[in-house]
Amino acid sequence: MSESLIEGPEAEASLVSARGLDKRFGLTRALQGVEFSARAGEIHAVLGENGAGKSTLMKILAGVIRPDAGELSLGGEAYQPNDPAAAQRAGVAIVHQEPQLCEHLTVSENMSLGAEQTRGGLLDRRAMEQHARRALQELLPDAEAMSIRPEQLLAELGPGPRQLVAIARALASADCRVLILDEPTSSLARSDVEHLFAALRRLRERGLCIVYISHFLEEVMRIADRYTVLRDGAAVGLGEVADATLDEWIRLMVGRDVRDLYPRSEHQSGEVALELDDVWTGAGGPAPLTLRRGEVLGIAGLVGAGRTELLRAVFGLDGVRRGQIRVGAYAGPASPAIRLNQGVGMLSEDRQAEGLAATMSIRDNIILSKLRAFVWPRRARREATRWIEKLDIACRDPDQRVGELSGGNQQKVALARLLRHDVDVLLLDEPTRGIDVASRAQIYGLIDDLASRGRAVLMVSSYLPELFGVCDRIAVMCRGRLGVARPVADLDPESVLHEAAVAS
Amino acid sequence: MLCRVVGLACFFLSVLGACSKEPTKAGLAGDGSAAAETKALRIAVIPKGTTHEFWKAVHAGAVKASRELKVAVTYKGPLKEDDLKQQIDLVQNFTAQKVDGIVLAPLNDKALRGPVKGAKRSGIPVVVIDSALQGEDHQSFVATDNRKAGALAGERMAKLLGEKGGIIVLRYQEGSASTANREKGFIDAIGKHEGVEILSSNRYGGATTESAFKAAESLLAAQGGPDKVAGVFCPNESTTFGMLLALRKTGAAGKIKFVGFDASQKLIDGLKQKHIDALVVQDPFNMGYLGVKTMVQHLRGQSVKKLIDTGAKLVDPTNMDSPAMKQLLAPDLKRWLGE
Amino acid sequence: MRAFIERLLSRPWFGPLGALLAVYLLFAGLRPDTFAHAGNLEMMARQTVVVAICAVGMTLIMIKGGIDLSVGSVVALTTVVVARGLQAGLSPWTAAALGVAAAASCGALNGILVAGLRITPFIVTLGTMSIMRGVAKGLAGEQKIDANAAGLDEWMAILPPEYGFLVVSPGVWLALGLSALAAGALVYTRYGRHIVAIGSNERAARLCGVPVARVTVMTYALAGVLAGMAGVMEFGTLTVGDPTDSLGLELEVIAAVVIGGGSLSGGQGSIAGSLLGALLMTVIKTGCTHVGVPNWVQEILTGVIIVVAVALDRWRQQPRQSSSAH
Repeated sequence: MSESLIEGPEAEASLVSARGLDKRFGLTRALQGVEFSARAGEIHAVLGENGAGKSTLMKILAGVIRPDAGELSLGGEAYQPNDPAAAQRAGVAIVHQEPQLCEHLTVSENMSLGAEQTRGGLLDRRAMEQHARRALQELLPDAEAMSIRPEQLLAELGPGPRQLVAIARALASADCRVLILDEPTSSLARSDVEHLFAALRRLRERGLCIVYISHFLEEVMRIADRYTVLRDGAAVGLGEVADATLDEWIRLMVGRDVRDLYPRSEHQSGEVALELDDVWTGAGGPAPLTLRRGEVLGIAGLVGAGRTELLRAVFGLDGVRRGQIRVGAYAGPASPAIRLNQGVGMLSEDRQAEGLAATMSIRDNIILSKLRAFVWPRRARREATRWIEKLDIACRDPDQRVGELSGGNQQKVALARLLRHDVDVLLLDEPTRGIDVASRAQIYGLIDDLASRGRAVLMVSSYLPELFGVCDRIAVMCRGRLGVARPVADLDPESVLHEAAVAS
Repeated sequence: MLCRVVGLACFFLSVLGACSKEPTKAGLAGDGSAAAETKALRIAVIPKGTTHEFWKAVHAGAVKASRELKVAVTYKGPLKEDDLKQQIDLVQNFTAQKVDGIVLAPLNDKALRGPVKGAKRSGIPVVVIDSALQGEDHQSFVATDNRKAGALAGERMAKLLGEKGGIIVLRYQEGSASTANREKGFIDAIGKHEGVEILSSNRYGGATTESAFKAAESLLAAQGGPDKVAGVFCPNESTTFGMLLALRKTGAAGKIKFVGFDASQKLIDGLKQKHIDALVVQDPFNMGYLGVKTMVQHLRGQSVKKLIDTGAKLVDPTNMDSPAMKQLLAPDLKRWLGE
Repeated sequence: MRAFIERLLSRPWFGPLGALLAVYLLFAGLRPDTFAHAGNLEMMARQTVVVAICAVGMTLIMIKGGIDLSVGSVVALTTVVVARGLQAGLSPWTAAALGVAAAASCGALNGILVAGLRITPFIVTLGTMSIMRGVAKGLAGEQKIDANAAGLDEWMAILPPEYGFLVVSPGVWLALGLSALAAGALVYTRYGRHIVAIGSNERAARLCGVPVARVTVMTYALAGVLAGMAGVMEFGTLTVGDPTDSLGLELEVIAAVVIGGGSLSGGQGSIAGSLLGALLMTVIKTGCTHVGVPNWVQEILTGVIIVVAVALDRWRQQPRQSSSAH
């Protein structure tokens, strides 16, 4: 692995590069001899499964952590940032997956936070707002179209505009040359992604070097110029995006062929398990739906279309404005406890904040939804061990804290809870968000297996290939209104996108 | 986990208990009773609080006694002023420490009985100062003889009024033994003077200056103000100050003869302005001194009286600047406490 | 062997145990003749009882992600209720039960306000702290209430020789018994696991069908029962009902829980740790008395030890947390 992927001329063309980077955290080797090189005026994608070392590499570049060994260079000179501020002064800025901004401040205040402009000791609001407006317009000529106003509170903005504010803030710092984006699109709706891409292309034309980390390989195909693939803390591939294929990337990332990313067996559609009749939630309606045993039904749509709200209402987490939800023959009031009793389980889209109790052990998280009055830790540990083996969860032992696991393994723990509860109806909200390819393949396999054993699965996803790969039928939601569910064979991605984006 | 918690706790208590017993016994045996006489006696002084002037004077008096009698005095009050639980803990602490004697100003006449009994059971004598304690477990009670002090005030009142006129007594609070004794002493003394008549003696001022002020105001109004009332008596600092404020507010200050109790700076100012005619002051310095001295006498085998009066003095505008009174009103704490 | 040591190090009560031993040995070294005396150890255990029993309840609440500032007021109220009950001629057991019942309803009120009105527990109990104190003073007529302790004081007294087999006062055994029950409940019951889950992530608990409101009310009520028992023990010590008693007790109790590894943000803490924390503070208090340190130094020392103990604990846990980064 020490064979350098970076040849002589490449080294000369590069703006930022790394050689032989090593980094350890306790017993785990996060990076071992990573080689990396990105040029000015390119969008360079960094690919890899979770735990492959992408975040560690980016944190080193941005000065958040220091490598144990290896050297960095920037613009031909040695580069050793001691902290993020030093990296920023050198021209390297990072925008994290969840932008680190203050919700209670305005857009312009966020953008000049730490470098506020003052006049006579007082904040010069107008100068700050002009500065913010200019920065946003530079980034995106039609910033007005995205309705970002400098005097607006950040809390009023959606995730897409926030991402742009964070990027504008990063660029505003003195002559930024390298911009690192960590999973910038993971919480963005499709239209916001287009805005973002437009902005990134403009920045590329200005000669900026953009390092782009993403799980969404299709997106990377569209936006990036070159790529580096990391696996197990080492760089295993480097090349032009134009020459690459998805299959090749997946093979490089996983280290083996993932031929059946979406396994499919025969599903026998049975009796009705869940029926929604003229249901209105806080996000709108109506949402008619009939879910049968033995089928996987997908709900497509833009972020904010009301898909999560619908699942939450079905599970009894939020109230229903109008209409009726029937589980089997039951149509009474709902709460999570009642639904779980009826055999309905839900997987939350937000693993950290809702799906799992991060400070508790794997064992506790798996058994939490179904406990007897007395709990025997030894028995619970045995049971947890069984699920860990069954779902192939990579961990030290059942007593390890869930928060210490990678995203994919965390999601498997959350799924193990539902499987242990042996629910008949599974409500899955973005089940593979932020998860590596291998874990995704396993989860798809699980879903398929559940359906073939007569369980009903209702799945919300913003990732179309996955919906088409896994579901039997897909319904599209737009502004709270749920369309008719149609068999996958009768649909194509373009028509689904069209339906999701255009209210009929 | 369950077993471990209990096990740990038991283990901790028993092991430490066991391994510490031996050296203690050896130490005691080694000292012997003969050696104990040459070793300085250790006496703990426990006040009701530590930040009030009154208790600093008690401390100074205790230090004076310790220097004269060559004994070691540890002065320690509750961390929080007037905290009953902490005072109980302190008595138990000093008992466990095996000091030679405890001088205690009990915060409650009943609640401290148990700890004092415990000290006695462990062979540690207790001298009570300032406030009474129920029971017979303490060696001596060193305090102001409140009845005598009240009588002192009564005699002075009769003299001030020229043996005739109506007076009112604003009592302090139900259930407060020391002030009740002052009130009783005062009323009994007045009873010997036929020309002086008590108009009211059943009103209570309550715990704070605020409540005393209100009670005093309404009492003065009810009794007809300076026309009918010739003199007033109050049995402690808060009632005296509340009454002083009420007299000033109704314009009766200086017109009605006023005998109060205790000396705070505000009351001494009132004395200077002639709004107050006389104040009975206790002698906390002497209380601390006599408390320790009595304890040492008891420990050295001398018999001590059950009740020791530390004395009370009358301060009025004529004698307030005399050196003796100055010493009483503002004792030289620096000399004893060394700050 | 190494695994054993690592396991030991990872125990939440290991830090406070170390601190306790260090402080104990310090004072025992300074005053070997009196401090390390068996009688003194027994006394320190006895003086820890009230804080310890309250700390058990507070640990449950803080693990659940709440806090209870009213505990000092509830203890004071209990002493007053018990004293009033005895005054009215009730038997000691009935009076004690009445006191515990009063404290339990205070706790339940806290829980209902927290769960029902969705106000943060800090604010709710800040309010009830004042309310309960006022009720106690009103009930006591603003003075200490004398009552015949009728044997309740024996719970907290030095053992008479004929009961020497008990080793320590019944009050100490009560505190240990309640702690063992609570520690067991946390690990071995559904209710206990639900408390931890809510403190760790309330939304996740809701998603798992945990009845959050019910568990909340139950936890505060349970802490009320414990505060009531502590109040009965406090009455046993005071032998009077004192409405001004235990001012600031809540801070001492919270300090004990935090020293014991509890976190103000919930999900963490252990009963054993809290007990050790409570004991640590008693040892400091007693040790300072023995050494003859003035009150102001003692207060500074207590504060320093709280901060240092917690800082050390966080530092000890750090390496394990950073290894999770990738």
